[in-house]
Amino acid sequence: MSAVSLLPTRALLWLLCGFALLLLPQWDRLPVWLIAACLALAGWRWLAQVGRVRLPGRWLRLGVMASLIAVYIATVQGRFSVDTAASFFVLAVGLKWLETANRRDFFVVFFILVYLATVNFLFRQGIGWSLVTVTGVVVILVALQLLHTPAESRHGGFRGLRRLGGMLLKTLPVVIALFVFFPRMAPLWSVPLVSEQARTGLSDSMTPGDISSLAQSSERAFRVSFGGEMPEHRERYWRGLILDRFDGHTWSQWQQESYRRLGRVDRDAGLEGLAPNEYDVLMEASGQRWVYALDNSRAVSGNIAKVPGGLFRLERPADTSIRYRMALGAEAGDAAALSPGQRRRYLQLPPSGNQRSRELASELARQAQSDLAFANSVLNRFREQPYYYTLRPPTMPEDPVDTLLFDAQRGFCAHYASAMTFLLRAAGIPARVVAGYQGGSSGADEAYLIVRQYDAHAWVEAWIESRGWVRLDPTAAIAPQRIESGLREAMAEEGSFLEDNWTSPQRYGDLALVQWISLQMDRINYNWQRWVVGYQGQSQMDLMSRLPGNIGLKELGYVTAGLVGVALLIAAMIAALRHGGGRHSDPARVLVARWGQVLRQRGVTVPAGATPLQLATMTEEQAPSAGPVARAFARDLNNHYYGTGARARPGRQRHRATDVRPMRRRLSQIRRELKRRSTTYGSAGKHSAEPAHRPS
Amino acid sequence: MVKSPLFSTTRSKIRKRWRSWINRRIPLDDQRQFDRRSIYILPTSAGMVFGLLLVVMLLTGINYQNSLIYLLTFLLGALFVAAMHQTHNNLSGLELALLKAGEGFAGEPIVFRFALQSAHEATSIDLGNEAGSVVTLSVPAHDRIEGALEVPSRERGFLLPERVRVETRFPFGLLVAWSWLRPATPALVYPRPVMPPRAPEGSVEAGDSDAVSVSQGQDQVELRPWREGDLSARVDWKRYSRNGEMAVADWQGEQGSPQWLDFDGFPGVDHELRLSYLAALVLDRDQAGESWGLRLPGLTIEPDQGANHRRQCLRALGAWQRTPPGGEGGL
Repeated sequence: MSAVSLLPTRALLWLLCGFALLLLPQWDRLPVWLIAACLALAGWRWLAQVGRVRLPGRWLRLGVMASLIAVYIATVQGRFSVDTAASFFVLAVGLKWLETANRRDFFVVFFILVYLATVNFLFRQGIGWSLVTVTGVVVILVALQLLHTPAESRHGGFRGLRRLGGMLLKTLPVVIALFVFFPRMAPLWSVPLVSEQARTGLSDSMTPGDISSLAQSSERAFRVSFGGEMPEHRERYWRGLILDRFDGHTWSQWQQESYRRLGRVDRDAGLEGLAPNEYDVLMEASGQRWVYALDNSRAVSGNIAKVPGGLFRLERPADTSIRYRMALGAEAGDAAALSPGQRRRYLQLPPSGNQRSRELASELARQAQSDLAFANSVLNRFREQPYYYTLRPPTMPEDPVDTLLFDAQRGFCAHYASAMTFLLRAAGIPARVVAGYQGGSSGADEAYLIVRQYDAHAWVEAWIESRGWVRLDPTAAIAPQRIESGLREAMAEEGSFLEDNWTSPQRYGDLALVQWISLQMDRINYNWQRWVVGYQGQSQMDLMSRLPGNIGLKELGYVTAGLVGVALLIAAMIAALRHGGGRHSDPARVLVARWGQVLRQRGVTVPAGATPLQLATMTEEQAPSAGPVARAFARDLNNHYYGTGARARPGRQRHRATDVRPMRRRLSQIRRELKRRSTTYGSAGKHSAEPAHRPS
Repeated sequence: MVKSPLFSTTRSKIRKRWRSWINRRIPLDDQRQFDRRSIYILPTSAGMVFGLLLVVMLLTGINYQNSLIYLLTFLLGALFVAAMHQTHNNLSGLELALLKAGEGFAGEPIVFRFALQSAHEATSIDLGNEAGSVVTLSVPAHDRIEGALEVPSRERGFLLPERVRVETRFPFGLLVAWSWLRPATPALVYPRPVMPPRAPEGSVEAGDSDAVSVSQGQDQVELRPWREGDLSARVDWKRYSRNGEMAVADWQGEQGSPQWLDFDGFPGVDHELRLSYLAALVLDRDQAGESWGLRLPGLTIEPDQGANHRRQCLRALGAWQRTPPGGEGGL
C-alpha cells in the first residue's frame, strides 16, 4: 500500500482530530449509526496509515459505500430536510476517508470539513459550540500546514499552531472591521431551514400532563432585557398561544397556524437603547412561529406581527435564535365585544363526558350573581378544598376533568387550567386556555431575565362583559409560591424540582458557587448572542446611524471595499519594511559577507556560498601571515553555527552580540594582515604600473 | 481537441516571449538572493477552490443571515491573505547558490549541487528544473542546506539548466511563490563512451565506421603508404617482403602506440564519434591501470595515469571545440 504513505501521518492525525471535533456539535442531530460508521471509517483509515490493516480495494470500498448509502436511504425514507442533508454530508466525509490517499484527496476532505464547520454554525450558535467549531477549523488548518512541512522536521503541530495563532492575531483587526462593516443584505433567495429535530418547548396542543415534562427541563426558552424596571415575578405572564378547542382530552388551537410563504426577513431588534417601557427578547430557536409577550404589549421591531388574540407571530419559524423588541402599553384592547362566531368558539365543549363537572358548573352558576362571581367561586373552591400542585400527578385516562376535580385532586398547571376553562364554558362563560411561560429568574447582576422551560405555564382567560378578557390563574389559588417566586419554591416540599435532570446547574440552586458560575456563563453567552450572533441588518444600521454621515448599505459596501484595500496596503508596507531591515540580521553572517568583500577587494574571485574554511584558505594564499587568524576565525564561525552552544540553545540566544565580538576582532586583524600584504607585495605591482602615469 | 496551427504558433510565440522576458529579468548568475522584485506568487488550484468555497460560505451566511458564518468566512479570507505573506516571506531573503556543476557522460543525468541559505527559517522549498527533477529542502534559520538537482544531458559539451525554479507552497498549499535562478557556471559533459569497433584487415580506407566489420584474432590495422618521417618500427615489413610496398601500419590509436590515444587515429570517422571512441578508450585504459596520453587537435595531454588524469582527459574530450556559454549569446 504505497498509496497510503503518500500522506504524512501527523497531518492525517490532525485532520482526523479536526473531523471528530467538527462532528461533535452535530452529535444529537445525527443518527447514532451514522456517528458510529464515521468513527469506524476514520479509525479504519488511521489503522491503514500506521500499517495495521490495508485500505479496502475498489470492490470492498464500493460495497461499504453501497451498504451505508442503503442504510441511509432506509432511515431517511424520502424525507428531505436540513437534517437529512447534513447527515448525507457527514456520510460523504466518512466515506471519503477510505479513499484519502494523496494530497488531492486531503484537500478535498479539508474543503468538505470547512463547509461542515459552516453547517455547524447553522445549528449551533452558542459561544461554547462556536468555540468547538472554531477549534475544529484551527485543527484542520494545522493539518494542512503539516501536509506541507517536511516529515523529518521535529516541531510539528504545535509549531503550526503557533504560526496560525500569529496569523490570526495579525488579521484580527481586519476580520472585526469586516464583520462590523460588511453590508448585511437581505437573503438572496429563501431557503427554509427545515429541521425535524424535536425541540424542547411548548407545542400547539396541550393534553394535561404535557407541560409537566417541560418542567423537568432547565433549557433556556428566552432571555429578556427591560428598558425600565423588571416587573414583579407574579406579573410576568408571557403569553404565547391560545388553546380554545377541547376534544375531551386535548386542548388545541381552533385555527391551525396558517402556513405562510417564508419571508426573506432581515429585520431584527436593532441596537438602539431601550425606552423605559420597552423590552428586548432573545428567544432560542424553537422551530415555531409564535413568540412570547407580556400582556398589553405591542410590537416594536419589524420581525414580528400581531395576530388576533393579542398574540404575536414571527414571519418565519424561529429556526435559529431570534431577537425581537416589544413595548408595554398597548393600543386599545381587543374587540369591544365578541362576535357570535367567537362566542360559539369560546363556549365549545365536547357533547358528552365529564358529567360531574358539568353539574358542578351549573350548580355554582346558580349561586353566582355574575360571571366574575362564578370565576371567583371556582378559584375559591381550588383555594379552600385540598387540591395539590404536583409534578407527579396520577394519570387520568377517563373523564380527566372529573377525575381531577373530584377524585385525584392532584395536578399540574395544565390540569387546573383545563378544568377551570371547562367549568367556565360549561357555565356559559367564554373562556380559553393560554399557554406560555410564567416568571423567570434574573441573570447575573439582575441585568436581564432568564426564562427556562420549567417556567412553562398554562392559565385561563375568561370573557367578562364590560371588562373584556380577564386573566384567571387557578395555579395561583392552589400554589401561590409558584406564581410569586417560581417552580423551585413551589416544589420545595415535594423535592421534585428537576428530579430527573442531574446535570442541570439549576438543580443545585442552593450551591452558591454553582449558581454563580452558571449565571456568569449565561451572561457571556447572552452577550455573545446579542452582540455577535445577533448582529444583523437592523443592528448594523443602528450602529452606523451613530457614526457621522448617512451610511446606507451601499456606503457600507464602499467602506468594506476600502477597508480591504487599506488593509492589504498596510500589510504590504509592513512586509516591505521588515524585509528591507531584516536581511542581514545575523551578525555572524554579516561578518562572513564582509570577509568575502575584503578578499574581493584584493582581487580574489570568491565563489558564491564559499564556506568560512574556503575563505580562510584563500586568505592564507593571499597573506600567509594571516593564516592562523583566518583559520581561527573560520573555526569560530563554524562553532557559532554548528557548535554545541548553538545546538543547546537554539533560536534567539544564538546571535547575541557577545558571541561575535571576538570574531569581529579577528576579522579586523585579518583585514590588517591583508592590507599589510598588499602594500609590500602590491607595491611592486604598483611601481610597474605607475610610471605610465607619472609623466602627467 | 484539434488545435489550429495558427493557435499553436501564437502560443509558442507567446511562450517564447514569456521566456525571453523572464531571461531579461533574471541575470545569469550562480548566486541569487530572492526579493520581492523577483518573487512571483499565485494561488494554486487548491487555492482557487478555496476561494470558491469562501464565496459559497458567504452566500450561505447571507441566505441564513448567520453572523457566525460571516465571521468564519472573513476569518478564513483574512487567513488566505496572511498566507500570501507567509508564502512570500518563506522565499524572500532566501539565497540560492550553485555550488558545483557536476560532470558526467552524455546521456546520463548531470548533478548540480546547490546551497540554500537563509537568515530566517525557510520550510519546504522545492528546487526543480524543466526536466522535472525536484528536490525539497528546508532551511533552518541562519543555516545552509545543500541539495542536488539532476539535469539530463544529451550531448557532450557545456551544459546549463536553462532555469532552476525555486518554489514554495508553504504553509497551506493554497498559494505558490516562485522564482528562478539562471546558473552561469555550466557543467561539463563528457562524450558518451563508445568502444571503437575493430576494423577488418582489408578495409584500408574504411571511410564509414558502420561498414567496418570485426575480424577476430587480428590486430586492427590500417595501412597507408610510407611517408617521410614515419618510424621504421611502424613499417609493415611483412608486407614489404611480400610485394615490396612500403606501407606503414597506422595502428588505430591504441594498437599503434599504446601510449597515445590519438584523435587522428580514426581517419574518416565522424569527429563526435572519434571523441566517443577516445572517451571509451580512456576509461578502458584507466580500468586496466595503464598509463596513456591524449592527443587532440590543438591539445596534448602527456601520458600519465590515475583518476585525476582520467578526469583531465575526459574534460578535454568534453570541452574540445566547445566554448562555455557566457551571457545571452551562449543560447
